[in-house]
Amino acid sequence: MSLPDRRAQAARVIYAVSAQGRSLTQLMPPLLADCDPATRGQLQDWCFGSCRWYHRLEGELKQRMRKPLGKDQGLIKALLILGLYQLRHTRIAPHAAIHETVAAARTLGAPGLTGLVNGILRGADRDGEPTPATDAMTTSHPEWMLGKLKGNYPEQWQSIAQNNNGHPPMTLRVNRRHLTREQALEQLAQEEIDASPCPWAPQGIQLARPVPVDQLPGFFSGHYSVQDEAAQLCTTLLQVEPGQRVLDACAAPGGKTGAILESQPELAELVALDQDASRLEQVQENLDRIGQFATLKAADARDTDSWWDGMPFQRILLDAPCSGTGVMRRHPDIKLLRRETDIKALADLQLELLQQCWRTLATGGRLVYATCSVFPQENSRIISRFVNLQLDAELELIDADWGQDTGYGRQLLPQQNGHDGFFYASLRKNPAAQI
Amino acid sequence: MIRDILVYPDQRLRTVAKPVEKVDDSIRILADDMLETMYDAPGIGLAATQINVHKRVLVIDLSEEQNDPLVFINPEYEVLDGEPEEMQEGCLSIPGYYEKITRVAHVRVKALDRNGEPFEKDLTGLMAVCLQHEVDHLDGKLFVDYLSSLKRGRIRKKLEKQLRQES
Repeated sequence: MSLPDRRAQAARVIYAVSAQGRSLTQLMPPLLADCDPATRGQLQDWCFGSCRWYHRLEGELKQRMRKPLGKDQGLIKALLILGLYQLRHTRIAPHAAIHETVAAARTLGAPGLTGLVNGILRGADRDGEPTPATDAMTTSHPEWMLGKLKGNYPEQWQSIAQNNNGHPPMTLRVNRRHLTREQALEQLAQEEIDASPCPWAPQGIQLARPVPVDQLPGFFSGHYSVQDEAAQLCTTLLQVEPGQRVLDACAAPGGKTGAILESQPELAELVALDQDASRLEQVQENLDRIGQFATLKAADARDTDSWWDGMPFQRILLDAPCSGTGVMRRHPDIKLLRRETDIKALADLQLELLQQCWRTLATGGRLVYATCSVFPQENSRIISRFVNLQLDAELELIDADWGQDTGYGRQLLPQQNGHDGFFYASLRKNPAAQI
Repeated sequence: MIRDILVYPDQRLRTVAKPVEKVDDSIRILADDMLETMYDAPGIGLAATQINVHKRVLVIDLSEEQNDPLVFINPEYEVLDGEPEEMQEGCLSIPGYYEKITRVAHVRVKALDRNGEPFEKDLTGLMAVCLQHEVDHLDGKLFVDYLSSLKRGRIRKKLEKQLRQES
């Protein structure tokens, strides 16, 4: 019996991300579903790890190549990145890693390049890792992204960059309809799952080590959801009350939708919007699992004519599309997929979403703006632009000991063994201002 | 010595292998050749049938380092629980094709080792799948037999075409 060449498969994934702009979220599930369980973890680690360390490994690769690879050799470049990843970041014996990576060059249809792959990887094994030439290579970030981090966080950029390369914890949200956090901790202890309460999210539990969800007692009957602590704080800020009509403006995949519904059993209605109908199916699956109901609509929240019935919402969560720069340890491909020009386009979209959603908010109501970005351009600057234009919008002070105050909302930075990078601002709608 | 591997649809792959009567040096040499052939291919399992020797001998090594060889002589297995295990399988006799095949996840195998000593082992996961795949070979069966005749036909035609081009 033989198995598909896993290194060749991983190289194809790394190529699809780095050269074709596809995401690991799209690429990995079908690949992992077909993979034998014994090598599933390894395949996942190769793909995620190579993306996480891509810029640093690419820097080393450039130093080792006498002349650059041709444009049509993207797959072999991806394979070399994977080869270096194994040497620098895994415990695979170097000779085995090199031998198998050379064999994968053959599988990928480049028998003429096995000598090159072999030579570069043997040299890399013999010489050890060279000192990276730039901060961007050391921290394995694209130049523009590290530049932005340095500019915005002159004191903190190093720890942010370092934490972006860490492994995120697995965090659960306990469904308070089924059990208390104390009961959940006891239950997990009985299953010998090492867990501790999150410092800030009241329903949050952080696991010492990730476990497959099917090992969590009651997962399929909705006792737990997997959700980062920072994301769980949305319910603390929204403070939904009985009888309220609530909007979740960019709902997919539905993690926060579920959190809001669990936090308040007596809502009048929760409307969950998402532009992408196929991603709304994920929202439905999530709600079905935790036994909750919401009105789902496939619509662009900016286009209020297409979806809004004119009935105002007392609470709105606007979890806006963003660069994802606060969650790169979960999605290391973001470092390869995002372009500098994306940030401006996202900021325009974010402000427009905020302006349009605001129209549907009831007087006296609250809108919580959230992103998983660490760039002020998508966060505090959106809020400052908005409140300065919108006279009936009042910024509410978030009284919390998590994150840091920006003057226009609170910024959380990714923490080692803690929450992701996130941003929250809470806005209240005042009675129409008299001008 | 590396031996030639028969390629589907070679009819010799349909031969049912005969039990080994005595585990002697000739069998040990056969097992060594099979391991060498399998490592070279590379594969994780090989049955004697695939190198045109119709004796009930198979070898498996799941390790990346190719340093954990297992030899099964006259293997027989019983299903321990019927839980299905779906995995993408390939075969050194059907090069380049990988298909999802459903087998049972948990078997108990009884066989002789390379010294002729009987042993018994409970197998799960990839190991269980690989053993079932190799025992199939000894019975003249291939993984394509579990596919639709349409799919099987397509694979057969492509491999026949490759064979014509090579010769």
